[in-house]
Amino acid sequence: MSTGTGTGDAAVPADVAPAAEAVPAVDAVPAEVAAGLEPGAREVLTDPGWKRLHPVTPVLRAWKIVAVALVVLAQQGLDNLLQARLPGWVLLLVVVGGLAALALVTAVYSAVAWRRTRYRIDADAVHIEQGVLWRQQRRAQLDRLQAVDLVRPLLGRLFGLAELRLEVAGGAGSKISLAYLKEEEAQVVRNALLAAAAGVRFAEGEPVVEAPQRAVVEVPIPRLLLSTLLSGLTIAVVVVAVGCVVTIVLTGEVAPLAGLAPGVLGLAAAFWNRFNHGFGFSVAESPDGLRLKHGLLEQRSQTVPPGRVQALRISQPLLWRRVDWWRVHVNVAGYGGESGEESADCTVVLPVGTRDELARVLAIVLPDLGTGEESPLDVVSSGLTGRGTDGGFTPAPRASRRLDPVSWRRHGFRVTDRAFLARSGRVLRSLDVVPHERTQSLALHQGPLQRRLGLASVALHSTPGPVSPRVDHLAAGVAAALLAEQAVRARAARAAAGPERWMARES
Amino acid sequence: MGTPSTAAAEPFDPEGVQWQRVSPRLAAARRTVLVAFWGPMALVALGLAVWLTWWIALAAVAVAALVGWQWWLIGRQVPAWGYAERDDDLLVRHGLLFRSLVVVPYGRLQFVDVEAGPVDRRFGLARVQLHTASTGTDAAIPGLPPAEAARLRDRLAARGEARLAGL
Repeated sequence: MSTGTGTGDAAVPADVAPAAEAVPAVDAVPAEVAAGLEPGAREVLTDPGWKRLHPVTPVLRAWKIVAVALVVLAQQGLDNLLQARLPGWVLLLVVVGGLAALALVTAVYSAVAWRRTRYRIDADAVHIEQGVLWRQQRRAQLDRLQAVDLVRPLLGRLFGLAELRLEVAGGAGSKISLAYLKEEEAQVVRNALLAAAAGVRFAEGEPVVEAPQRAVVEVPIPRLLLSTLLSGLTIAVVVVAVGCVVTIVLTGEVAPLAGLAPGVLGLAAAFWNRFNHGFGFSVAESPDGLRLKHGLLEQRSQTVPPGRVQALRISQPLLWRRVDWWRVHVNVAGYGGESGEESADCTVVLPVGTRDELARVLAIVLPDLGTGEESPLDVVSSGLTGRGTDGGFTPAPRASRRLDPVSWRRHGFRVTDRAFLARSGRVLRSLDVVPHERTQSLALHQGPLQRRLGLASVALHSTPGPVSPRVDHLAAGVAAALLAEQAVRARAARAAAGPERWMARES
Repeated sequence: MGTPSTAAAEPFDPEGVQWQRVSPRLAAARRTVLVAFWGPMALVALGLAVWLTWWIALAAVAVAALVGWQWWLIGRQVPAWGYAERDDDLLVRHGLLFRSLVVVPYGRLQFVDVEAGPVDRRFGLARVQLHTASTGTDAAIPGLPPAEAARLRDRLAARGEARLAGL
């Protein structure tokens, strides 16, 4: 497989080159790369011109719509239809005919949409043109690339297709989705994109090989199951169950149970979601950054380049305390623009892990915590379980116990050379870590009660995501000093931060 | 000015910072909105009191009390707004009961909005809203004269460009 990334202008367009000449080029490719590639796939990169998505795309899209219609029909429409008192065969005809018509219309529309969609990747940007009535041309700068996801939905896997999602930090709807590509092709495009975004320039004809990756953590399925059972959801289930039993005993009736059905279904769905998304979770390290792979029905392979993690939260539900398991969430600029569940799905970098695994993941996400002589894990550990001044943290003063009697000893912060750590929560422990250069802005807040007690809270603003670092109820003077110092530290760290194109220094 | 400089206010008064105040016309603008919103309701209540029973007038009294309290509050809140341009960041301060101080580094600014609603325009005011990549950045300066708002916008844009880093 030869490549044109970085040499877009010089490459020979594949449609000009006779097919016979193209064959030797394939021979020159390392066997392991060539093995998975169809001849069609190589054109993506040798040809800097416009490419189309896979022709099966309209079928998949049409099926998606029909499936949704089927679900809606099954849930709501069926009752109405049955009340119409028509003979069975007419009903069947109406339903099947309606679905077929819907399938036809969406398939035709999707086919037109497919015809009018094309994309192009050059050394600096990804271009995509799409839309039937409202045409859209989008150009995304590669050095602004925040993450690249390869998503393989259930149906797509049957056809060997995948969707490539490029996250750029432009707010809601800013991602670029290439759906669907042949899986091998999607991988080739992803590797080329990451290489180009990293600033690695390939000579013409040199293959873009996938950056080598090293597995760091794999979450065993039994542990995932157990951790799901031990989550806060289980407490909810137990409370609901006890409530049910009490109701039945007191009233001697079973009828009120029917009202619980939606709640039970919701809980089951939540359990299923956790399991489905966390299934086969693996974390790997590569020069392209953090690699995550997970999912049972819909598989997702995420690549988050170095320096794209804006903030990180390590947390622990109550029932995980005994087994010492932890969960890690991150803020990545592009993921914040996704819809709720999607965003919740892609911001987990470790759904459940031991402290040792936590340390390994942390070493990839934030390679240098700037703890100097101390081991980073010790510092993090003291933030996870410590209280008061443990581990060099600056705690909230005693006066704050009147505002937060339960966890006032846990409120505190620590500043290392490279990052800010905010500790909180006694029942649900958590620790937020923000690299200094990723601080967006800072705020100091003080309510009337805090003012009376001489306290103030400090918030660090990060990009949208699950992590919003904040230290509550610090002594007012300490908080003000922190605000001033952190502003200076963030500025200094920004000035010294690495390039957006993370490999550009080496080449 | 109106801000009490007691010891508790100190964290919100970093050393060597010269605070710029917003225009006092902001108080007039806010009071106009206040009266425009509650006034008709009080009148309706009074009308009903005359028409039906006297005790509906209590509602009018309650509305009047609310308006009076807000009137007084606005007079205290507007002088509490302040902003300061430092070498590398902009400070925005507001609130009396619930105080906040936001520090926005110029290098973090993604874009700056200048907005003016109909009432604001009538009073010759504009509002400058700062946006970083974080939605948590709650930094807005209301009640600036349009010329000052435009100057601030251009200055912030120029400084942001000079100091722009990625995310």
